[in-house]
Amino acid sequence: MITYLVRRLLAAAGVLVLVALLTYWIFFALSPDPAVMICGKTCTPDRIDQIRATLGVDQPFMTQFFTFLGGIFMGRTYGSGEGAIECAAPCLGFSFQTNQSVLDMIAERMPVSITIAVGAAILWLLIGVSAGVISAVKQGSWWDKAAMMVALSGISLPNYFIALVLQYVLVVELQILPFPSTPAFGEDPLFWFQSYIMPWSILAFGYASLYARLTRANMIDTLGENFVRTARAKGLSSMLVLRRHALRPSLTPIVTMFGMDFAGLLGGALITETVFGLNGVGKMTSDAISKNDQPVIMGVTLMAALFVIVGNIIVDVLYTTLDPRVRTKVA
Amino acid sequence: MKNLDAAGSNSLLEVADLEVSFASSAGIATVVQGISFTVARNETVGIVGESGSGKSMTSLAIMGLLPPKAKTTGSIKLHGEEILGASERHMRKLRGNRMAMVFQDPLSSLNPYYTVGMQIAEAYKAHRGGSMRAAKLVAVDAMGRVGISDPQRRVDSYPHQFSGGMRQRIMIAMAMCCEPDLLIADEPTTALDVTVQAQILELMSQLQNESGTGMLFITHDLAVVSQVSQRVLVMNKGKVVESGTTEDVFSTPQDPYTQALLDAIPRIDDPIRALKKVEMGMVSEA
Ligand SMILES: Nc1ncnc2c1ncn2[C@@H]1O[C@H](COP(=O)(O)OP(=O)(O)OP(=O)(O)O)[C@@H](O)[C@H]1O
Ligand SMILES: [Mg+2]
Repeated sequence: MITYLVRRLLAAAGVLVLVALLTYWIFFALSPDPAVMICGKTCTPDRIDQIRATLGVDQPFMTQFFTFLGGIFMGRTYGSGEGAIECAAPCLGFSFQTNQSVLDMIAERMPVSITIAVGAAILWLLIGVSAGVISAVKQGSWWDKAAMMVALSGISLPNYFIALVLQYVLVVELQILPFPSTPAFGEDPLFWFQSYIMPWSILAFGYASLYARLTRANMIDTLGENFVRTARAKGLSSMLVLRRHALRPSLTPIVTMFGMDFAGLLGGALITETVFGLNGVGKMTSDAISKNDQPVIMGVTLMAALFVIVGNIIVDVLYTTLDPRVRTKVA
Repeated sequence: MKNLDAAGSNSLLEVADLEVSFASSAGIATVVQGISFTVARNETVGIVGESGSGKSMTSLAIMGLLPPKAKTTGSIKLHGEEILGASERHMRKLRGNRMAMVFQDPLSSLNPYYTVGMQIAEAYKAHRGGSMRAAKLVAVDAMGRVGISDPQRRVDSYPHQFSGGMRQRIMIAMAMCCEPDLLIADEPTTALDVTVQAQILELMSQLQNESGTGMLFITHDLAVVSQVSQRVLVMNKGKVVESGTTEDVFSTPQDPYTQALLDAIPRIDDPIRALKKVEMGMVSEA
């Protein structure tokens, strides 16, 4: 188990460096000159050169990349002499737009994205999984048909479309919900809940649809398994057969998927945050992309990759405890 | 022994005019067409027939485990009590308790997520109640009885950690843990290699001798059926084409289908000679 973990962590580090290299190449090497952007309209060639030197973008690509990578582990100094700017490890650089530290920007917006992700995850797990289980057990019933119809629409309708319609109906017309915003929980829990419920639901709808269909399919497969027949042949109650013998094999793959989806969401719910104007990592990313704020894009990409990779490892380790067949192989 | 089955009142299981059909858009497929037979205490009745002849459907009908869309008519009596059409609640009390079943493929028939001990224990606990811990002790005991060495330790192993033969022993332990009156074995040795197959057959007849369980033994292997059963039914396309003592059916088959089945065995003399030996051996043992 320990060697397995060490191996996985080393591989993860390798993947992260690769992701960093690729993102760096795409955004820094292929994008317009950041110095021109920072310098603004009234700009002299001298000033541009000066900025280039401070940013280090006058260096060859690989040198830039390793400076960036070094900054993450050891911190770095921008420029030299009087105007030098210290950036402590883990240094992700500074936004071209606001000059704020990218790390600080992410840290500031993380709570919003986490709140959105956790709330949505609870909703979609509860609704998606139970709808799927009921559908599988009552396969072919009106419930099954209706649930699967809804799920199909949840998968095919674009998020932002539903978001805009809901916002119009619930907030503008009926006025039963406030405009989504990101208040703190402590001040007014009810208002906090009302503000987040729409983003949660919208985000959860798509995932719940997917999870319901997957759970249903898994469950139907499992119910056809020989061991379920054995369980019935023992005289176990149908509830016990379902709960003990059918549910667990059906849900184990869902755990894997959930780990990945949730980890991905921690990197920001891009569309949902943008549509509702919630100031999380996702909205920050879409802003950064539209304004070509390369350090921010870079930082967010790396962070999202880190979440997904760590999530992947956690899921795999969890899997070894969930599935005895994998357990013996790893141990 | 032969007389036991003729006297209906002594019968453990009486199946009469059993019919199983599936309705589909293509029409009604009758997969079991009015078969009748009995199984007495301490007796083994074999059902032979090629793939698709309706053997499994017959056994599942007895257990009440047919898929919901299957339509079943006729009569199935256990200890003289009609169980065809009995409530699910009632059937649940019988399954695993009064009648139990061993399936063909022991690996897929065991849940990979739970220890074998737990899976045996839950069968016991379902009918005898008590704590899971107490049931686990019964499981250890049951595993020992089916010849699994070091059951104390193996009780916490998972199905994939056993060999095919050991898994089938576990299935047998599970089926026998509540001391059922009737054991239905649906091709219990088909997935096993020949030496292991012999061991499992040996184990089953030994357990039967100890407990007096009546057994319905389903197989498509004539050699196996000749070894284990006193009486045999030959099934073809959902019908019983021939039945009688194993000896009669094998030495003087009446039905052309049975003759063809026997002819399909490379050396026709062998199974009959083997059969006679085994039959005599069993009689002297009993
Ligand atoms: N759900 C179903 N709907 C319709 N027909 C079915 C269904 N299940 C099984 N059958 C048919 O019932 C017939 C009998 O099947 P059964 O499983 O009893 O055969 P078997 O004698 O046990 O064969 P095998 O030796 O392969 O196990 C087969 O022709 C099969 O196609
Ligand atoms: Mg069969």
